[in-house]
Amino acid sequence: MNRLLSKLWAFFYRDFLDEVSYRTSFLLQFFGSFLFVTTWFFIARWVAKSFDAPPDLPGVTYFAFVLVGFAFYQYLQATLTSFSAKIRREQLTGTLEAMLVTPTRASLVILGSTVWDFLMTTFRVAVILGSGTLLAWGFGERVGMRASGIPAFLLLLVLTVTAFSGVGILSAAFTIWLKRGDPVNYLITAASAALGGVFFRVEVMPVWLQRVSNLLPITHALRGIRRALLAGAGIGEVARDLAALALFAAILVPGGLIAFALALRRARVEGSLVQY
Amino acid sequence: MADAIEVEHLTKVYVKKRSLSQIIRRPFGASERVTALAGIDLQVREGEIFGLLGPNGAGKTTLLKILTGLVVPTQGGARVAGHDVLHAGVAARGSIGFVTSEERSFYWRLSGRENLHFFGRLSNVPGRRLRQRCQELMDQVEVSAFADRPFMDYSSGMKQRLAVARALLHDPRVLVMDEPTRSLDPSAARHLRTLVRDVLNRRQGKTVLLATHNLDEAESLCNRIAIMSRARVRRLGTVAEIRALESPKERYRVEVAPAFTPHGQAYRVLETVPGPGGAALTLEFDRGGEGLTRFLSDALGASCRIIACERLQLPLQEVFDRAVAMEDEPARPGSLR
Repeated sequence: MNRLLSKLWAFFYRDFLDEVSYRTSFLLQFFGSFLFVTTWFFIARWVAKSFDAPPDLPGVTYFAFVLVGFAFYQYLQATLTSFSAKIRREQLTGTLEAMLVTPTRASLVILGSTVWDFLMTTFRVAVILGSGTLLAWGFGERVGMRASGIPAFLLLLVLTVTAFSGVGILSAAFTIWLKRGDPVNYLITAASAALGGVFFRVEVMPVWLQRVSNLLPITHALRGIRRALLAGAGIGEVARDLAALALFAAILVPGGLIAFALALRRARVEGSLVQY
Repeated sequence: MADAIEVEHLTKVYVKKRSLSQIIRRPFGASERVTALAGIDLQVREGEIFGLLGPNGAGKTTLLKILTGLVVPTQGGARVAGHDVLHAGVAARGSIGFVTSEERSFYWRLSGRENLHFFGRLSNVPGRRLRQRCQELMDQVEVSAFADRPFMDYSSGMKQRLAVARALLHDPRVLVMDEPTRSLDPSAARHLRTLVRDVLNRRQGKTVLLATHNLDEAESLCNRIAIMSRARVRRLGTVAEIRALESPKERYRVEVAPAFTPHGQAYRVLETVPGPGGAALTLEFDRGGEGLTRFLSDALGASCRIIACERLQLPLQEVFDRAVAMEDEPARPGSLR
């Protein structure tokens, strides 16, 4: 266990050192998030009158709705991009081979490379939620986070990150196999942004599209997290979303790991593990 | 003495991916197969420096990649320090340190020390020992003065020395080096060779498997070599043994004064070059025979003085060229191992 934590720390510290060596880029990513929040704050003010709060989120403003949706969509983006992007970057820089010849399992090398991204995403989510709340407060409005929903939120967050990681590992498997043009990334990213209820309520779509959106983990994640954070829902009230996320996690994580192991095996047979 | 690396009947066949045009022209056509290794048998003894020579595409890199777990063999197997590279890959990699000539295999914006700390953790060096181990290795490869400078500021020689330090982090029994002096100037290359021979091999007892194109390097460093070509080992043994195999006769150049005309049965005079007051003769006789003794006896018997006596060796380049040009037959077994 100590050895595992030591290795995860090594990945985190390596990426921290690398990231802060590009100081401007490091700071600009947070500034970018703040600009996005500001843009949506004013769009939300503009459309506020035509926004009907969903029945399960009484009194919630459109800005609060989008803010939570955008913040937690970051996790999906992080899982989908970070696994494949990290593998590709290590292949291009030639460091993948150097790591794979050490007595560390290939799966840990690749999964460990994403520790930094997950922690930074968590920090970025906090920046988005914090800056949105402050911005609303500055204009005399409120986002209205409810402390009573925190236990349900934390449980939802764990299951969301786990389920999304399954998708990310699947995406990484495709990157090892195909090198470029990972279909999981394209499909899930596009479908989640369009159908997952990031910027609008899923209920405004036709019924058949709502059914499709229920096949995406992000739909359940955002619905549950919004209810927990914005309506103070307890664990029992978000049980359906928790169950759906648990099911996604139970299918996607083992499925992703199996696909990943098969892709690694295939790459070793082909001799293409460090090719790009 | 036990073998540090054992390779048995190792075969690797790559199946080449078909291009789009090939798929369109022949949708059900078979993929091209390329044999990179064809039933290789090889043993590297504990504590020796073993050279792997061969032209590009001979199969050297595939062999190294199989030993380091990057490639799975099609048939056969390999063991490093007794660990099967296929079924006990982590343990095998724990016994092996890999030095690549690829400069890009480090994080350029991190310092040399930070790079070593990162790879040290991946190499299972305990946290409390890591700092000290990195410092020891940087001292050993003489990059301590630049330890906290970004890797991108290092010279090629320093980068290569840091690659050696990285491979030694977990104190492996076996060091696998893939053309370590390829991009180094002569002075840096000499420095690295001295480190490998005097410190790592002689002092620390590491077994070294060295893949190189540099024949002089192989001759000066290696206890034994294998010459590979077209997926097979063509020659295996000490440089002297391989020379003997390629050239069963020995040649000497002897200067005598005054000149004389020898007529011994045990040797043959290939060439006589007259010189001031004497002659330089090129002799050939059976390896291990009495040819030289008989000639010297004849010369002294004819009241000649021996001015110089020099052994003429078949250049390693010629040995290499002959081995590489061999037709597909297995390496001569047993006698040279």
